[in-house]
Amino acid sequence: MKYELSALLVIASVLATSTGCGTAPASSSQLSMLAANIDASQFKLAEEPDGAVGVIAARESAEDGSPLVLVGRIGGSATPWIEGRAAFTLLDASMNVVAEGDDRAEGEICTGDCCATERLNCTTLVKVVDEHGQIVPVDSRQLLGLKESDLVVVQGTAKKDGNGNFVMLARGVFIRN
Amino acid sequence: MLGQRLLPWDYGIRNLFRRPSHTALTLVGLTIVVLLVLVVVGFIRGLEKSLAATGSPNVVLVYSLSSAADIEDSSIPGRTPALLAASVDGVRRQHGVEYVSPELYLATRIYTASLEEPGMGLVRGVTTSAPLVRGQVQLAQGAWPQSGEVMVGRLVHSKLGTSKEDLAIGQQVTFDGQTWTISGYFTAAGSAFESEIWAPLAGLQTALKRQDLSLVAVSMDSPDHVADVDLFCRERVDLELKAVSERSYYAALQKHYKPVRMLAWIVVALVAGSGIFAGLNTMYGAVVGRVRELATLQALGFRRRAILLTLVQEATLLACAGALVACLIGLVFVDGAAVRFTMGAFMLKIDSVGISVACGVAALLGIVGALPPALKAMRLPVAEAIKAI
Repeated sequence: MKYELSALLVIASVLATSTGCGTAPASSSQLSMLAANIDASQFKLAEEPDGAVGVIAARESAEDGSPLVLVGRIGGSATPWIEGRAAFTLLDASMNVVAEGDDRAEGEICTGDCCATERLNCTTLVKVVDEHGQIVPVDSRQLLGLKESDLVVVQGTAKKDGNGNFVMLARGVFIRN
Repeated sequence: MLGQRLLPWDYGIRNLFRRPSHTALTLVGLTIVVLLVLVVVGFIRGLEKSLAATGSPNVVLVYSLSSAADIEDSSIPGRTPALLAASVDGVRRQHGVEYVSPELYLATRIYTASLEEPGMGLVRGVTTSAPLVRGQVQLAQGAWPQSGEVMVGRLVHSKLGTSKEDLAIGQQVTFDGQTWTISGYFTAAGSAFESEIWAPLAGLQTALKRQDLSLVAVSMDSPDHVADVDLFCRERVDLELKAVSERSYYAALQKHYKPVRMLAWIVVALVAGSGIFAGLNTMYGAVVGRVRELATLQALGFRRRAILLTLVQEATLLACAGALVACLIGLVFVDGAAVRFTMGAFMLKIDSVGISVACGVAALLGIVGALPPALKAMRLPVAEAIKAI
């Protein structure tokens, strides 16, 4: 009787762990293991790359798949970070974003809905990717030691589509200040 | 020897029964104070539990970027659920079914059979995938709503300010120009969903002449994958979507209600404080009437500390009895009572925290309430006190 119960428990636990596993992506423990094995130095640039352009200019001129060096300030939204992923929002260095409800000077936009369209025109998402083009599954603050409002220069590839979506796939980040 | 001894334990207990009417009145007073504390703590705990139970760490809410945090104002394209399921990794799937729930959410005026004025209620248009994502929702009675039908949460009557009978299975409710028959009744583990009416999404869209959605709730394989939905929404800026984990969404609401909770804790402190003053007053009366008795005990050789301890024992026993009665009343009559608030309704929760606070307040009432009058009585010289009338 005891053996039957044990066998049932084993079968039940095997079934429970195997159900749906065929298509499941990396679990939280797998992601943690991945994070522990990542060498952050490969994504940090020792020297500032030349030919950096601002976010507004890149939105207009960059072509899909072309190499790009982008300069900007981390920010442009209430939370510029993607939790647990090496991705953040980059704001054109010429722009300044203030908190919703604060007084705005000329050229400043706020984090509220009133400035949503203006924010889209001067911000972009930066995704730090590995050699396979996959996003690094570690928070960029942890991976690169980034802070909000840091002025950074990112080197990588532009990803653009016909709907106005523009994303920077970064292979390296240089912190200017 | 006698001087070092404490008074017998049953001396204090017998004293309580020596003045039954006075003891009973004090007991009623203490019970009311403790019950008030219990109700206010029950309010705080019920509100906290309702918001905490609603947010699941695996679930992401995707809604319109322009609606801020107000889901009622959100409008997103009907194709969003399919787009999310196809584009984002980590969406929970089982037996070929994706755990993605398209929903239409609105606050509207609802009529029931006995309501002369409509009540403001919350309606959620859902598909059969909604219970997959909102795992806490359980159909307690009746059936899943078909066309022209709705199912109601167990606190809807409180939200609408109507009777439970009005929302029984088979009864009808009217909103947005259409009458709906109640097909079922659901519970949701104390979460905010319990104050909602759920209707079939397609039927609700037809009634409202809308084709859009308010939000999409997506269940992920693990909380880690919640970030992937956020990433998708920030990458596809043309869709103007925003992703927030359900837990963060309700945690933000908890912050919104922080002043209410702070106010409630202040009320607890005020009620406890006033209770202590009432107790002090009662105990002053009780001790003043016993000055001769206390002096006699001193004359017999009992030390002041022993007599003081007996007085505190009497007061604490009475306060603890009051706490027991209050907790009993609280558990029978207050626990589960529905309270209406802006976001819906929630139930007062008399749990271990509430009972601990109530018992703590009772002990405080007994000890702090008895000490000052007892100390005052003990200060009188024995010869003078023994002659007191």
